[in-house]
Amino acid sequence: MRGFCCFSKAENAMKCLVTLMLLVGAYALPVFGQEPADAGTVAAILALEHAWTVGQSRNDNRALNLIFDNDLIYVEYGNLVSKADYLSRVKQEAPELDQILMERTIVRVFGSTAIVTGAYIEKQLQSGRPSVRRWRFIDTWVYQENGWTLVAAGASPVTK
Amino acid sequence: MRKRVCALLFILMATVACAAQQADDSGIKTKIMALEQLLKLHAYQAKDAKVLDALLDDKFVAVDPVGKLQTKAELLEFVQMSDSLQYLTSQMIVRVHNNAAIVTGLFQLKGAVQGRSLQQSGRFVDTWLFKEGHWVAIASLSTPSK
Repeated sequence: MRGFCCFSKAENAMKCLVTLMLLVGAYALPVFGQEPADAGTVAAILALEHAWTVGQSRNDNRALNLIFDNDLIYVEYGNLVSKADYLSRVKQEAPELDQILMERTIVRVFGSTAIVTGAYIEKQLQSGRPSVRRWRFIDTWVYQENGWTLVAAGASPVTK
Repeated sequence: MRKRVCALLFILMATVACAAQQADDSGIKTKIMALEQLLKLHAYQAKDAKVLDALLDDKFVAVDPVGKLQTKAELLEFVQMSDSLQYLTSQMIVRVHNNAAIVTGLFQLKGAVQGRSLQQSGRFVDTWLFKEGHWVAIASLSTPSK
């Protein structure tokens, strides 16, 4: 799942801070490359993407519940994951990932729909061994009654 | 008595509005599924640049099963240089959100590109947008099965 960045409380506090700063940097920089008319929307979407990452790193289901549309379609390794399944997993599973490094993120605005594309590097420990994997994602946000909500998201592992 | 009549009228109007919305959504879902078939079953296979150009927005972006980002121009080029492409879909689900529609389903891609065979399967997520009286695809993600 994207956005997991779990750290053991004391030893990795600094690491968490540094990662969050990297995330903020990765999300904030692309705003300057967008069309002026969309700047406000782009900033709002990037803030929500960031809130998703932070919410997930803190297992904050309440925050994620507000960000995700009830009909969210999340795709992972060819599987369809519903909002309920996603939130349940965030709540129950002990996250194993160590670090998520966001790369350049681009927001394309189409009125009340926005498409976010980007990539991230996932560093994790698998059975005690470090593994690094790069993913490319597409997220779809729609402006509805309660503001922008995530209606679809998924990522594909970069293998070439 | 007047209150009851008002309440009944309100419920009736709400039911009619809800049914109309459902009928609208149902029509949109049917249309989107047809456009998916047109795009993937026909246009990719027949290398129909005209149909692809009409169905893909100029700002269309795709991520393929190996994590490669493609613009509309790059996808059109890929389709044109392919020797053969067969993109089969199944178990499609459409969800409508205002003037956007999300489609997900399973895919099987078979073919050959510049002499190299291509075989991929997994799940796709497409985003369609109702723009200037037409539905156009604005994003597509294909992710492989684990």
